[in-house]
Amino acid sequence: MTGPIAQQTSGTSYVQNGGGGGRGTSGLADVVDLILEKGLVIDVYARVALVGIEILTVDVRIVVASVDTYLRFAQAVNRLDIAHDGTAQGLPEFVGGLEESGAKRKTKGMLSGAQERIKETLGGDDDDSDSKSKRPARRRGSKDEEDDK
Amino acid sequence: MSASEPTTPTAPQYVYGVVRSDAELPEGLTGLDGQPVKLIRHERVAALISDLPQGRALGERADLVAHQSVLQAFVDAGAAVLPFRFGAAMAGADAVRDELLAANADRLAAVLESIDGRVAVRVKGRYEQDAVLREVLAGDPEIAELSERLRGVPEDAADAVYYDRVRLGEMIVGALRERRANDSARLLTALAPLAEAVSAHEPVRDEDVVDASLLVAAGERDRFEKAVEGLAEENRDRISLRLVGPLPPYDFVPEG
Repeated sequence: MTGPIAQQTSGTSYVQNGGGGGRGTSGLADVVDLILEKGLVIDVYARVALVGIEILTVDVRIVVASVDTYLRFAQAVNRLDIAHDGTAQGLPEFVGGLEESGAKRKTKGMLSGAQERIKETLGGDDDDSDSKSKRPARRRGSKDEEDDK
Repeated sequence: MSASEPTTPTAPQYVYGVVRSDAELPEGLTGLDGQPVKLIRHERVAALISDLPQGRALGERADLVAHQSVLQAFVDAGAAVLPFRFGAAMAGADAVRDELLAANADRLAAVLESIDGRVAVRVKGRYEQDAVLREVLAGDPEIAELSERLRGVPEDAADAVYYDRVRLGEMIVGALRERRANDSARLLTALAPLAEAVSAHEPVRDEDVVDASLLVAAGERDRFEKAVEGLAEENRDRISLRLVGPLPPYDFVPEG
């Protein structure tokens, strides 16, 4: 069997090693959900000698506030039009529009705060971080059932 | 848990995964907190363990990397490895041997057999945003019309069309979902015949097209990679496709 692959292939497919070694950040981003959500669950195989441990970790699957997502796409398509016809109007009004109400701004602020936190955890420049949020939680501590804040 | 000497036989152990007992432990392999990884064997199966860090919660980036790296070392060496989900710990090395390995020897050996000689890879695709948005505009008159109308709204009236902008975004997201259903089915249909098993993940973001783990026979790996490259090339204007792996077969071990 051959070793790990780590090369830029033709086309747009980027083949890379799965993340243990030197490719740290992007590698971890590509497997972090698997590490946390897949794999054998020890409780199924052993019970008596389990040790409960506290796990601080990321919840890789959050639902981004829909309105925020919608506005993002509305803005993207608007920007696209500008690029398309070369007219300069449009973008500023959307940027301005996003700031309009206190409640909306708050949603947005919370979202970017979450992104910053996960970037700290994952080490930054991975391409998936914008869809994740950190949830400090006692995720699964084997024996401890007293979960939830 | 009470503090105990880190190297006593009863020190709590973190469990990374299970390998065949004839698997070789790479020299100098370290895990959580740089602790040496040990192989504890029982008949045909062996567990990868190291002393459990004491007095702190696990889950820092370095912990996740350590978990992945230990398993990846075996994948890279071509050895079958069953990954545990992050966060498995047992009371001591004896407990790992008796309660995990001895009590489940046949079951673990059978799962190892099922992944031996195969590699797990992950295929991820994402729309090229501008390209797909142009498609959406071209393909849906209602979206194109609303987009056109909103573009003409002057800056000081942007608040007045807030709900129209939300609606425009909502329609775009809906259009992307429809496209994704078609595109992901098309991509996976092309790749599935080259794999022994496919585990499709629900894409996280609206611009994601496909996210799936595939278990590929080692002998088919070249063909599989060429197929992915071919698809990437064919779709390069609108989809960015990536192949990641081989990875530990997280998706291809039984959960229950």
